[in-house]
Amino acid sequence: MTGRTTGEELIRIRVRDDSDIFVMRKLGREAAEAVGLAPQDQIRVATALSEISREVLGEGREAYAAFLLDGEALVVTIDLPAAAGFRSADGVTLAGRLLDEIEFDPAGGRVKMLKRLPAGRPDLSVAEIRARLARLTPATAVDELRQQNRELAETLQEVLQLNAELQETNQGVVALYNQLSEELEETNRGVVALYAELDEKSRQLRAASDAKNRFWATVSHELRTPLNSIIGLVRLLVGPGGEPLAEEQRHQVQLIGSSAETLLTMVSELLDMAKAESGRLEPQSSRVDLVALTERLRMTLHPTSGNDRIALSVDIPGEASEMLVDEVMLTRILRNLLSNALKFTQEGEVRLGVRADAPTQEMVFTVTDTGVGIPEEHLERVFEEFFQVPGPIQVRVKGTGLGLPYARRLAEAMGGTLQLDSALGEGTRVTVRLPHRQDGEPVVGRVLVVDDNEEFRATVRRMLAGFAAHVDEAPDGEVALEMMAHERPDLALVDLFMPRLDGAALIERMASDERLRDVPVIVVTLATSHQYPQGVSRVLSKQGLRKENLLETVREALGRDDA
Amino acid sequence: MDRVPVLKLGDILIVSIQIDLQDQSVLALQEDLANKVVETGARGVIIDITAVEIVDSFIGRMLATIAAISRMLDAETVVVGMRPAVAITLVELGLSLGGVRTALNLEKGVALLNHIDGSEIATATR
Repeated sequence: MTGRTTGEELIRIRVRDDSDIFVMRKLGREAAEAVGLAPQDQIRVATALSEISREVLGEGREAYAAFLLDGEALVVTIDLPAAAGFRSADGVTLAGRLLDEIEFDPAGGRVKMLKRLPAGRPDLSVAEIRARLARLTPATAVDELRQQNRELAETLQEVLQLNAELQETNQGVVALYNQLSEELEETNRGVVALYAELDEKSRQLRAASDAKNRFWATVSHELRTPLNSIIGLVRLLVGPGGEPLAEEQRHQVQLIGSSAETLLTMVSELLDMAKAESGRLEPQSSRVDLVALTERLRMTLHPTSGNDRIALSVDIPGEASEMLVDEVMLTRILRNLLSNALKFTQEGEVRLGVRADAPTQEMVFTVTDTGVGIPEEHLERVFEEFFQVPGPIQVRVKGTGLGLPYARRLAEAMGGTLQLDSALGEGTRVTVRLPHRQDGEPVVGRVLVVDDNEEFRATVRRMLAGFAAHVDEAPDGEVALEMMAHERPDLALVDLFMPRLDGAALIERMASDERLRDVPVIVVTLATSHQYPQGVSRVLSKQGLRKENLLETVREALGRDDA
Repeated sequence: MDRVPVLKLGDILIVSIQIDLQDQSVLALQEDLANKVVETGARGVIIDITAVEIVDSFIGRMLATIAAISRMLDAETVVVGMRPAVAITLVELGLSLGGVRTALNLEKGVALLNHIDGSEIATATR
């Protein structure tokens, strides 16, 4: 009898520790009884199984035992791993004495035992025997548990493997991330370096610009003295007290004189421009009669046109006859604009219009001509210094190309704007808007601007120019309090986010001060902040702050608090 | 693991095995019994295996060992109540339980001990 065993399997269990020997014994006894062996044979089978399984387990091996019903015999096979190297000592011999046949195959790792059944055994079906054995042996439950345990262990193994894979992926991701952030850092360094370079460049540019201004100022100043000497000497030569000159000589000397004067005008313009560039222009406001001013301009400019085909008209309505402004600057602006208009108009009209714009509190000066106009591509460039639109007229007329840029700088210095509208061949219109108070008196006496941003303070100051008699600036709450203690403002514009004492705290401190309690406060802050201190009803957004709404709010604040 | 109780009756310790023995239980019994013999100064030990159906070579050896240990401790061991099927199987296995005295039942076992020892407890159980 070799090889596979045929027959119907009754039960199969795993044998792995001492308690399984007990189970084997019990199973053997029960199986033997169930298949109809005599009591003595039942004991024999059980004892034999006990012997054999004790030996199999002797060295911590693990085996599977199967009980089979094969025709007229009960067969028990025990399978061990071939590698276990099981060598039977006495067990197989001892068991052999109790059974009919025993077979041991060390190479296949199998022990097969056989006990023949007597004739006339009880007629129990295989299924019934199976049920009986299964019921009587809790070993199967334990086995199941073991099976489940093993499956769990396998699952755990899988999970561990998955985990390992995940970790690997994770490492990959981290590596990728590191690489990316490294690259980003590098780019960042590049950007920083670029910034530094740009800073350096703009510093150099500023330095160059300063040098240019200094050069202009010095050169034009130095040039004026000899020019004045030339002009003086020319006057002496052609004057009544001088020695008589020949007609030709007189003409030539006069030419020298007029050239020198032209040169002097240009040099003066240069000097003015240099002054304006360096930002040293401080408007000195005074009450100005616009009618008289424009009349003077008309008188001085008209003859220079030397052309009867051009009409120069001035239109000033009654309500715009007076304004508070720096007279010298306004005159210069208008003279530049008007002379430009006259220069580049061969026929038609040059008109100066003045009107008061009530909503924006501005005085609007418009110089319109019917001249050659400016091509669209040059509209911006005409504001560059020394730039002249190329054309036949420009060749003929004299000019430094400083007029328009200078006029614009002056307008800006006075808190106004200068705009140019033109099309080639259709004339040019220049619009100058200068701040103007209708009643001629500042609306508010003293305004305190509290903000840590210097640029913003300057912007507000410009917006309030002419509207407020005095504008004080404070970079933070502490300074603001000191200034208020010294001089009580009529209105305060307060930013919320400031170093040291912030806006909210400042407003609180003001509210607790008897003297400052009634000072109207307008919060001017970034639109993103929504938390305003208590008792603040007027809030302006820094973003897109315009002169109109600032003045409107200021007027409202004053009006309400006065009432 | 079930522990087998060891009872004392006069000079005799009685061990009645009522269950199918597991190996661990047998080893524990060996130890318990040795301790008890020393503790009580018993002169005889009776092991009743009436309920035991299967005695394989291991348990047979263990019984022999217990008997040998007890003898060392000056106590005679008698195994009583062996079933015929067990006896047949033991013989077929080639084991004769050498060194272990046997008696048919508890009564005869006690008598045997009294005979060996001239012990006085015999009357107590009779």
